[in-house]
Amino acid sequence: MAGMRCGVNIGGETETAKPVEPSSQSARRRRMEIHQFRFVASDVAVAPSQVENGRKRQKVEVVGPASPSRMCDNAVDQNSKEDDLDESKVAGNKEMKCLQSAGPANSVSSSSSTSTVEQAAAGLPAEAPKFGMTSVCGRRRDMEDAVAIHPCFSQGNSATPSNLHFYGVYDGHGCSHVATKCKERMHEIVKDELENGDCSWREMLTRSFSRMDKEISDWCSAVGVSTSPCRCELRTPQCDAVGSTAVVAVVTPDKIIVSNCGDSRAVLCRNGSAIPLSVDHKPDRPDELERIQEAGGRVIYWDGARVLGVLAMSRAIGDNYLKPYVISEPEVTIIDRSGEDECLILATDGLWDVVSNDTACGVARMCLQSGKPPSPVRSPGSDATLNSAGESSDKACSDASILLTKLALARHSTDNVSVVVVDLRRDL
Amino acid sequence: MHTISMATGNGNHEAQQTEENFEQFYETWKKQQNQHLQELITASEQVSSPTPPTEGITACSSSSPPPPTDGITATNLNNLVKRVVEHYEEYYKTKSEWADKNILQILSPPWTSSLEDAFLWIGGWRPTMAIHLLYSKSSLQFESKFNDWMQGKLTKHDLGDLTESQISLIDELQKNTIIEEKEITGKMAKQQEKAAGADMVELSHLVSEALREEEKGTKARDHEAEQSQAESSLSPKEKGFKKILEKADNLRLRTLKSIIDALSATQAVHFLIAAAELHLRLHEWGKARDEGQLSGGAGHPIFRQEA
Repeated sequence: MAGMRCGVNIGGETETAKPVEPSSQSARRRRMEIHQFRFVASDVAVAPSQVENGRKRQKVEVVGPASPSRMCDNAVDQNSKEDDLDESKVAGNKEMKCLQSAGPANSVSSSSSTSTVEQAAAGLPAEAPKFGMTSVCGRRRDMEDAVAIHPCFSQGNSATPSNLHFYGVYDGHGCSHVATKCKERMHEIVKDELENGDCSWREMLTRSFSRMDKEISDWCSAVGVSTSPCRCELRTPQCDAVGSTAVVAVVTPDKIIVSNCGDSRAVLCRNGSAIPLSVDHKPDRPDELERIQEAGGRVIYWDGARVLGVLAMSRAIGDNYLKPYVISEPEVTIIDRSGEDECLILATDGLWDVVSNDTACGVARMCLQSGKPPSPVRSPGSDATLNSAGESSDKACSDASILLTKLALARHSTDNVSVVVVDLRRDL
Repeated sequence: MHTISMATGNGNHEAQQTEENFEQFYETWKKQQNQHLQELITASEQVSSPTPPTEGITACSSSSPPPPTDGITATNLNNLVKRVVEHYEEYYKTKSEWADKNILQILSPPWTSSLEDAFLWIGGWRPTMAIHLLYSKSSLQFESKFNDWMQGKLTKHDLGDLTESQISLIDELQKNTIIEEKEITGKMAKQQEKAAGADMVELSHLVSEALREEEKGTKARDHEAEQSQAESSLSPKEKGFKKILEKADNLRLRTLKSIIDALSATQAVHFLIAAAELHLRLHEWGKARDEGQLSGGAGHPIFRQEA
């Protein structure tokens, strides 16, 4: 219960971020099976960021329930003045408005002026954030993933007006309706909490997840109202056994706030390194195991560690029948954005079970780099396919999400695969 | 044989009327499929225009694939794909005609091996299997392409290049195919439950009674009446099976064509190669296993060439 150990390794030492790797036996087995496919991205594309290690101390907060809360306004730039001069300038000196921001990665630093001109010339609305999203059924017979992307979903509250973007990935289990509900409602709830409350990110997101969870159980108990065509047909016993993971990222001009429940994952790609922004909630994670046992629950190993031998994750939205062992309380990570940030990857375990954080970052990075405006390799005939030059930057993110999805399928992922890639670069 | 496979559907159709049963047609069709396989392989080798690395691997918009340049023209490639797809159409057309004559045989084809039977779904391959075939072949080609690409090599255009729009088309197709497949499975369940319908139970009892009375010598059986009663109960059920088979075959062919439509001609060639190879080898392995089983079980020569 004492939150999680702040075990997230920042600053390039991603290989030590063990807790995030899928730890179930089946996942391990699957990884062994794919050895014949030798991925070389990490050698080629992911430069070790020793410099970064030595030079900088990035601040990351993984806030557990017992951690001190931080006020939203306090959270802005308190400890990051040295690291993020550009951003604090943006946040502090210029009034950030949606229109002024050229995507989530906007920067008012001088290096960005050229690309701003290019984007303007291409008719790109200045506020359009760059992202790519792929979500496929894959080798499953049921699609239970859902993805929600809402650029400029909120302007923040009056205390900290800024332009905020929402990215959510949900992986349902039992049926798809909880994930679908999360997709429909979560961003609205977060927006409501954000604009009408004056509390820390952690409190705000924890309350949002709790409201989301309550909406689900209220909705389920009102059986018959909905004529949702889902598999479980909303019959009460089955309906109680339905849930979803939720990994939500709110991107502000100077911060990334990730709120996670379950085994979907957010990973930041910074200067070639993979920085996990969430730690999977697996029943055999020591602190989660302890929490479950203290609540009177048991973790049974049945095709991997499962709460009561049923659910292979220790936190989720929904899953009424597994409460209080499975909780909907998220873990919240707040990290200051840096000029070295390249992209944010949110994905379900359909990707993470077969592709490591480092590999994913390597692939995404390559796509973003090869998608730079003066594209190094692009066949003459394909120019026509870029309907507007403005989409070419989005195209890099789409390329990344598609490529990661194809890699997951090629590595025999047997699950639905959903990937979101958000471009965080400021120097385009 | 070559001329048959080159001929139009109509021309073939006439040729098939001379076949004595569907099994013969199937054997001929299989040989033609093997010939098509050779043609497809040759064509895939002739298409050697490499795609630029990043374009090839990350292309995600609806960019048309690079036209094949060396050895084979785009028109020839398209024609070849068209011809092979027509060959599948012809298969289902003939199958449907034979199903009219003997639906039960078509549902449990004696010419397939036990191995193939294990994978059978309503008298043929499961439609969603085609999508898995595409994903598997695409994955294999993606793997090798990915490594080449990482090493900065140019790669050939193939199924590893599925674009964003292609993947979303396939994903959509998959969802719809699963829904239709489930619907047909449901119809099949209903149909099979009719085996124990009141009419069947009543008739089986009456005939059993008659049998017992005959054994006791109390009453002679009316074989003709029994026959006609059985016929009147069974024939609507056969018609029901025929309808379901039609739906299943229709879904199979539509799924196949939808996949081909979503692919470039070069990619379609690779897909059709994978489909033919899987079908032919599975059949061969199954036959070898069956023969092995008959001749005493263990040690069956799975990879033995067919005579």
